[in-house]
Order: sequence, then structure tokens, then C-alpha cells
Amino acid sequence: MNDMTLTERAVNATENKITARNVQVYYGENHAIKDVDVDILDKTVTAFIGPSGCGKSTFLRCLNRMNDTIDICRVTGEILLDNEDIYDRRVDPVQLRAKVGMVFQKPNPFPKSIYDNVAYGPKIHGLTRNRAELDETVEASLRKAALWNEVKDRLTAPGTGLSGGQQQRLCIARAIATSPEVLLMDEPCSALDPIATAQVEELIDELRTNYSVVIVTHSMQQAARVSQKTAFFHLGHLVEYGDTDKIFTNPTDPRTESYITGRIG
Amino acid sequence: MSDHILSAFDRDLEAVQALVVKMGGIVEEQILNSARALETRDADLAKTVRERDRAVDQLEEKINEEAARLIALRAPAARDLRVALSVIKISASLERVGDYAKNIAKRSKVLLDSPPINGTPAAIRRMAQATEAMLKDALDSYIQRDVDLARDVRTRDLEVDQMYNALFREFLTYMLEDPRNITPCMHLHFIAKNIERMGDHATSIAEQVIYLVTGELPDDTRPKSSSVIETEV
Repeated sequence: MNDMTLTERAVNATENKITARNVQVYYGENHAIKDVDVDILDKTVTAFIGPSGCGKSTFLRCLNRMNDTIDICRVTGEILLDNEDIYDRRVDPVQLRAKVGMVFQKPNPFPKSIYDNVAYGPKIHGLTRNRAELDETVEASLRKAALWNEVKDRLTAPGTGLSGGQQQRLCIARAIATSPEVLLMDEPCSALDPIATAQVEELIDELRTNYSVVIVTHSMQQAARVSQKTAFFHLGHLVEYGDTDKIFTNPTDPRTESYITGRIG
Repeated sequence: MSDHILSAFDRDLEAVQALVVKMGGIVEEQILNSARALETRDADLAKTVRERDRAVDQLEEKINEEAARLIALRAPAARDLRVALSVIKISASLERVGDYAKNIAKRSKVLLDSPPINGTPAAIRRMAQATEAMLKDALDSYIQRDVDLARDVRTRDLEVDQMYNALFREFLTYMLEDPRNITPCMHLHFIAKNIERMGDHATSIAEQVIYLVTGELPDDTRPKSSSVIETEV
């Protein structure tokens, strides 16, 4: 049946980008993530779904060491990005986050101009040598984020003056300006209206030609629409991980079935 | 499986499935009545069967509407999605079975004009009963979500096919004996063929039950009789 799969849904990558093995996360005494093993593919959109408090955001935040900022949080196990342990002592978290970008639930542009929002990352990481190169990076990032045409005449206007959907796309442009390899998105559309959501979803689908995208979403329909792989988390466990169409038509685990059909929250 | 958090979703799923069960009940009666009308040469009963087909068609339309509404408004996934898809396919099968019953009723009216052919209406009634039993069990397997019963229905299609093949040869003999038998035997043959097709639809319903419960259609390994085309006359 595989040759019958619509090309649109096909996963065209087979290479692992991120490999997680036996990952445990503790918040003080609370064991938030239990024995998670997962292989996240390159050039693929992977969705994490599950009820509130199941650990999906916590696990996402492990992937670029955002949990380092929480004092009581302890991560054990192994998370490899391109076969290199991201929790290795020699890894600089700031450099890691340039490679593993993140977009948050609420659009959070800096209180700066549209241009400076995007230029910030390349500047602090010293990715461009001169103004012309920076201009180029800003334009390319805004174009990839499908925002260029809407803002090209007002690059000096404050980023906070854009609409919600535009602000979120600005944050995506900011995240991809440092040429990351992985893009983590934590409920990127939950503060957006349906039109802006559709635009961001279209963008996510385009981004997967260049990046590995991992998205946490509460909307199962969104996971079904944008992802090729879906992981279902429940009570800190990774219950089921597989092709999105399989998860939504014929999941293996009864807990997955109960969740996606709206029987457990 | 436990209930949905949104109880209206359960009510919608139950409502559309209740329509399928209702439709199935009517279609079962239509099969038996059409065979009885043929055997007892009952023109009134044949007329009732023809008229009742409209109710079957309306139910199919209603089921399709409800299933479309369910898909649009509830975005069902996994087993719920398979329920929505299976009611559409099962009701389409039932509608076809209903049409065959109606066609039998039409032909039995025509057959009133010619003398009865010895024994065949009873043989057709037995075939209709076997097929009705298959359909009943297919619908029961649907209601009970009973995969074993559904698999049993699939294998029983062979018996109906064999009954059809036997009748086919019998009709050929009658027609060779006396050309005046040709008109009634042609009608009787179509009637037998209709019943044989009903068996195929009952099988198809059983396969939908297997898909509904397991998520996969059964592979094509059930026993099949050699077709009449290969039968030597």
C-alpha cells in the first residue's frame, strides 16, 4: 500500500536528526518525563500531542536545553543532535539554541523594529560580515516566513505593531534567521485566528523542505494537518510514536485511540 | 470503549448506526417477501415489496447525510472515523440489496403470466433464506462488533454461489427441453443471479465489520466456487 500513499503526506527523509534515549526529566521530586526514546527525522514535521501536563512541552524544551533555565529541573538520559550529545559539558547552550530554534505559544517580538527583530540573532552570533549581508539574511528570513510582502515597506516600524498572525510569523522569521537545523514550536497557533493559523501551517509545511520541525499542539486536527510523524504523550510516557495517518486512522495503543477520539482528556 | 467527553458525539454516532440497523431490518424483510411473493404467486405482496423500496432508498440518503454531518462537525478519528465510513458503505450495500429485492418482485409479476416451473421457486426461496440469514448475521456482527461472526458470513457466501450455479444448470436444462420455458427461465435466472449478488453484498457488509473492528480489510483468501462461465453445459 505504500506506493499508494499520497506524495503530499510522504516522509521523504529517513535520516535521524535527533535521537533521544532513556530520557528522564525531574522537576524536584516530580518525575515529569519517564523513559522516553524517540527518533526525530530530518526534513519532517513531528507533532507531539497529549493532554495538559503529559510532558510534551517539557520534552520539547529538553531538545534545546531550555530546561537548563529552571533550577529544580534535572534531565538524564541521552539526547543526540546529529549524533552529538547536546547535554555534553562542552556544548554551549547558546550555540545549541542557534541550531535548534524555538517559537513560543504567544508571539513575543522584541520591542524593536521588524528589521531588528530578525537581525538580532545573526548579529549576536556574528553570522554576517556587513550590512549588505545582514539585509540579505533579514529579507531571506522574512520571505521564508511568508511575511516579506506584508512588511517590506515598513521594516523600521515596531514589530509589536503587527497583527497577531504577523507577529508569530515574525518570530518564526527571527528563529530561522540564524539558519537553525531544527525548529521547535510550542503551540505556535494557539493565540492566532483560523486564517493566521492556516498561514502558519502552510509555512510549517514549507519549512520542512529545509528543517526538521517539532511542534507541540493541543489541536489534534492541527497535528493531523501539518505533521508526518506524531508522538502521543500521556502521564510522562511516550505512549505511541508513528506515521501521522496511522495514528489518526488506526492507532495501536488503546490510550492513543481514547485520546484522539475525545474519550480521555 | 468508554464514552466521549462530548456526549453529543456519542448520540450522533448511535443515531446514525440505529438508522443502519433499521434499514437492515427492512431489507431483510424485503428479501424474504420477494421470495415468498414469487413462490406463492402473490401479486399484492410483490407490489408491496416494490413500493417499500422507496423507504430503503430514503434511509440510505438519510444515513449519508448524517455521516457527512458527523464527519464535518465532529472530525471523527480512528474507530469513530471507521464508523462514519462503514455506515456509508454498509448503507450503500443495503440499498443495492433492496434494489435486487424490488427487481425480483417485478419479475415475479411477469412470471404470473406463464405456467410455474416445477420446483424452482422453492429452490429460490431456500437460496433467498440462506442469503437473508447471511445478511442478518452480517448485521448482527455489526451490532455486536463480532469479527468471528463476520468471518463466518464471508465463508458462507460460497454456499449461495453453489446454489446459484446449480440453478443455472437447471434452467439451462429446462430451456433446452422446451423453448417455451425460455421466457420464465430467463426471469428466474435473473432472480437467482439477484440473490447471488445479495450474498456478495452481505459479504461486503461483513468485511466492513472486520474493517471497523480491526482497522484492516481482510485479505482475499475466502473460498470461492468456480464461476458458471467455466461450468460445462
